Amino acid sequence: MRPEEITTIFGNDAGGSAPEGERVQAAAAASLRSISKKFKKAVVLEDIDFDMAEGESLVLLGASGSGKTTILRIIAGLEEPDTGRVILHGKDVTELPARERGVGVIFQSYALFPRMTVEKNIGYGLRIRGRSRKEIKKKVDELIELVGLEEHRRKYPSQLSGGQQQRVAIARTLAYKPQVLLFDEPFGALDAQTRVRLRREIRALLKRINVPALFITHDQEEALELGDRIAVLNAGRLEQIGTPDEVYNRPETEYVATFLGAANLLLGVVSRGDVEIGTAIIPAPVETARFREGQAIKLVFRPEDVHISKTGDLPDGCRRLTNGVIEEIRFVGAYERLTLRLDLVARQPSEGEPVLYNVALAGREKRTGVPIVATRPKPEANANLLNVGDRVAVGLTAFRVLANYTLASERSGRMVTR
Amino acid sequence: MRHVRGFDVVRPLSITTLIAIMLPLVLLPLASIFIFGTSKGLGSFWAALTAPEALFALQLSLVTSFWATAFNVLFGLFASYVLSRHNFWGRNAIIVTISLPTAIPTAVAGFALLLLWGPYGTLGRLIAPHGVQIMFTAWAIILANIFVTFPLAFGVIKPVFDTMSRSLEEASATIGATRWQTFWYVTLPSLRGAIVTGALLTFARAVGEFGSTILVSGNLAMRTQTAPLYIFAKFNEGQVEAANAVAIVLALLSFFIFSILFFARDWLDTD
Repeated sequence: MRPEEITTIFGNDAGGSAPEGERVQAAAAASLRSISKKFKKAVVLEDIDFDMAEGESLVLLGASGSGKTTILRIIAGLEEPDTGRVILHGKDVTELPARERGVGVIFQSYALFPRMTVEKNIGYGLRIRGRSRKEIKKKVDELIELVGLEEHRRKYPSQLSGGQQQRVAIARTLAYKPQVLLFDEPFGALDAQTRVRLRREIRALLKRINVPALFITHDQEEALELGDRIAVLNAGRLEQIGTPDEVYNRPETEYVATFLGAANLLLGVVSRGDVEIGTAIIPAPVETARFREGQAIKLVFRPEDVHISKTGDLPDGCRRLTNGVIEEIRFVGAYERLTLRLDLVARQPSEGEPVLYNVALAGREKRTGVPIVATRPKPEANANLLNVGDRVAVGLTAFRVLANYTLASERSGRMVTR
Repeated sequence: MRHVRGFDVVRPLSITTLIAIMLPLVLLPLASIFIFGTSKGLGSFWAALTAPEALFALQLSLVTSFWATAFNVLFGLFASYVLSRHNFWGRNAIIVTISLPTAIPTAVAGFALLLLWGPYGTLGRLIAPHGVQIMFTAWAIILANIFVTFPLAFGVIKPVFDTMSRSLEEASATIGATRWQTFWYVTLPSLRGAIVTGALLTFARAVGEFGSTILVSGNLAMRTQTAPLYIFAKFNEGQVEAANAVAIVLALLSFFIFSILFFARDWLDTD
């Protein structure tokens, strides 16, 4: 089968069941090529570019107003980009209206047709394509079984729970074999418990049907759990795209580091293969390799990567940063969260060098040092009890070194916790 | 303070007062047309009702009201669609204009139509030489009915359109429906209640229309005399029984329409 035939089938033909294997081809399932969009004069999207592979789940993660919903609407054909192309299975669909794209959208509100039963909703895509009753019934039966709604087939949407409505919405799009599924904040309207259960269900379902899916969310936990890859969006720009492991453990920008999980940020400079943070020095030959001598950088590390020791002994593979004093200890369920004040004092800067960790940040209380957040799992917290006021050695088991382009506007030693 | 035990006098007293106020104002006038109409026996009531003039008047009222209703419901749908889907300069001016006929006295409406379509009217003058006469025909009655009931269906349908989620139509489009299919299968069913309500209100109002009809129709028996005009004419001639028989039918029709609106509320409301 030629590629153009495949797109025709999935664009227009809703019947039959084409074997999934035949869809595998060189072209990506969906590609966005330098998409830009302005509303009035506000830039909503700037040069968005990414590909989705066959059967892949991609999560667009961003705060509200980051433009993620606009991307979804552009792929669906509900919004037009100012520049750029939308390509589905190798076919440029930028100029096609929504109804000719064969894309399945699961709206945040599910948008089920209120005057149609579950069956009618699911069969709608086939009905408007003029399929025979017999064919519609067969397909609807199949899909109702797939999403497990056998007992509810004659109910109206208002008689269903949020989770059931969502399953109807998914089945309704699957009826016409969508090229790609687009989920707009799919769990926003559900309570916390249902949310966790449903996203596992959906993940399992997607693996079974092997349709590429794009999720829109602002929930980092959801993103980490649902995505084969995560694309982090900030103010209309793509900050980073990668596997959950990549974006969480190797964030490329401060925004990614702080939006996905909690992160501590310290300002420093590169100095002979080390990172100098005020008077503290941490060896980082590998991490600093791509930076030049004396370059201003940010040291980014997760609370769980901070190792604290009262005796001063740090395990192998843990690099010593400096000493600090424990300011606060809180138990947060599964782990213990500590606020530490690091002994970071400004080094006398040479001429033209930025002042890092000036005493000015001590504020009214005349305390010096930089606060960071650390967490310890319960077993460790119980084995090595710590108290407020203890002096400890602080080491890092993992950290990232990022270029610091916006030094002037940056507050030093900022702690960001979400 | 609420009585926990014993006889609570406030409850029966307040209900009695309520009915006592309504009695002379609403209930007795309505009751009297039934009492008077049947006082000489059902036979004479039936004879009065089946008089050719009476039957013609009732039929003319129903037919003209039907066409006025059909037009106003379709127009109301169209106007609601345009005005809630598109935002343009002058949109509010149009909404106000559509709603205006409710505030205009019906006699003024009839007079205005005469000035436009009458033999010497602005437009009537142009069509008269071609032998086309609109005033003093059934068309005039339909025009008058359309005018005075213009905003009723629109007023019921537009709010439903406004609150209807756009995502329903967008969902339908992404599923592959054309605009027409979306309108037919998704939008229209959601408007079902509003359409029925709007149609009943329009029809009820049109059947009873008097002020504008009497001016534009010419009130010609067996030709342009509607039921309300018949009641008025027979009353003036002193044929109270004849007038009363038709009055009963109109009253029953109103009860019937109102009952549908009241008892089918749930069915009409569900979306």
